[in-house]
Amino acid sequence: MISFSNVSKTFPLGNAALTDVSFEIEDNEFVFLVGTSGAGKTTILKLIMRDMIPTEGTITVNDMDIASRSFRSVEKLRRSIGVVFQDFKVLPEQNVFENVAVSLQVLGTPRDEIKKKVREVLDLVGLKHKEKVFPVQLSAGELQRVAIARAVCGDRKIILADEPTGNLDPKTTWDIMKIFKKLEGKKTFVIATHNSDIVNSLKKRVLVLKDGRLVKDSRKGGYDI
Amino acid sequence: MNNLFTTIRRTPYQSLATFLSLFLTLFLALAIFFLMSFLYGLLGYVESRPQVTIYFQTTTSEQDILQVKRELESSGKVSSVTYVSKNDAYSIYRNLNKKDPLLMEMISPDILPASLEVFALKPAYLPEISDFLNRQTGKDEVTYQKNIVDRLLALTSAVRKSALIFFAFLVLSTTVILMTITHFKVALKKDEIELQRLLGASGGYVRKPFLKEALFFGFTTAGVVFGLFTGILYYLQTALGGYFGGMSKLAVSIYTYSLPVWPLNVEIGLVMFGFTALFGLSITIIATYLATQKYIR
Repeated sequence: MISFSNVSKTFPLGNAALTDVSFEIEDNEFVFLVGTSGAGKTTILKLIMRDMIPTEGTITVNDMDIASRSFRSVEKLRRSIGVVFQDFKVLPEQNVFENVAVSLQVLGTPRDEIKKKVREVLDLVGLKHKEKVFPVQLSAGELQRVAIARAVCGDRKIILADEPTGNLDPKTTWDIMKIFKKLEGKKTFVIATHNSDIVNSLKKRVLVLKDGRLVKDSRKGGYDI
Repeated sequence: MNNLFTTIRRTPYQSLATFLSLFLTLFLALAIFFLMSFLYGLLGYVESRPQVTIYFQTTTSEQDILQVKRELESSGKVSSVTYVSKNDAYSIYRNLNKKDPLLMEMISPDILPASLEVFALKPAYLPEISDFLNRQTGKDEVTYQKNIVDRLLALTSAVRKSALIFFAFLVLSTTVILMTITHFKVALKKDEIELQRLLGASGGYVRKPFLKEALFFGFTTAGVVFGLFTGILYYLQTALGGYFGGMSKLAVSIYTYSLPVWPLNVEIGLVMFGFTALFGLSITIIATYLATQKYIR
């Protein structure tokens, strides 16, 4: 479970990224974060993975109070979270297999198990035939699928995706969403997006942000900013 | 291991810089270490020689000489006194010049002086013993090694102090150089490290490839330095052996253990390799640890 309670984040120069935001996301829930650029979507994702610390309020992830400055289990927290970045963060000098395997290597997974699990997840995202290919030879959609494979690999319970379809054409966007749909109910998804088609079509829970404030939380919502 | 060689191949200049700076440091450190061991061995050798020797006139009787020996022994200031009679001196002479028949023919026991070799209990007693011997009526010459020991002690002390300062400078400069090189390597992998951290990698996981490389360079460079230095010593052994011909063996006493330094042997070889490897590994690991510290906070 992810819980935000009266969370605010103000940057050192005084600009507020989030103001008094509270919500709860249950295990295995599928949630969209929507809002204009600068509304605070990425800030929420960074706070969940403790890439940032809130100025005020409490954040609980898997029963861990991660907002505290004395929180020391950042590695444990991040091992339960898979992240899909808008810019993919795929390492250019490593092939597809190696890019996905790193997710398991950091967990100390044995080599044989890594081979098996990476191939399973590459099959899931439709890249099994490209495991030895280097990123420079892949399309944007394929790169995003590599990033998704890396995020979902290793039994990570929470998947955070920051504009996962931001640079992709409509067909590839739907291919990516199909992958997420395959895993729905098995993991918690928090997806920050601008894509109104997807949000309106999937009818999932939507958290609407405006100027750093949570203005709407609808269970089967649409893209309404 | 494959990853290690891939990293080295992908950063050839940084790897070469690491090897060269480490090579220079380890070579100089090993040279200093061997020089210090040799000097301490030499000091021990000189200290083990008779510290005061009195040569008597050939006319002095054996009774008179033995009387002087007894007086010295009863003084409580000497650890031992060795009497070398004319015949003993002749035997020593024959042994030293056995390859030169001409020199053998010219000498008979009668013309060689008898002597007493005196070892003092403490260096402080040496002047007193020397004065006592100089007062003996049958003396021909008194040789006194205090100056040699004192000069060697002063030299060893000066070399030790200079070596410590030089050694500290070497350690500092090499650590900084290796840290800078590792910083470069870390910077090249910045994105990878950032990703690993976001995926929950521990500090140890991030450091591991850098530490592996440090271990590889520390150990390999130590091996190369040791091989080269030992090769040079073996090459020079004959020349050095001629120069230090009178000294059959040099050893350094470390508590109850005596480490043979000269001639070259397996024991000093093992100690030299151990010293070089330990120093090489320590310096590379410390530099790597410090260089990666910033990225794992």
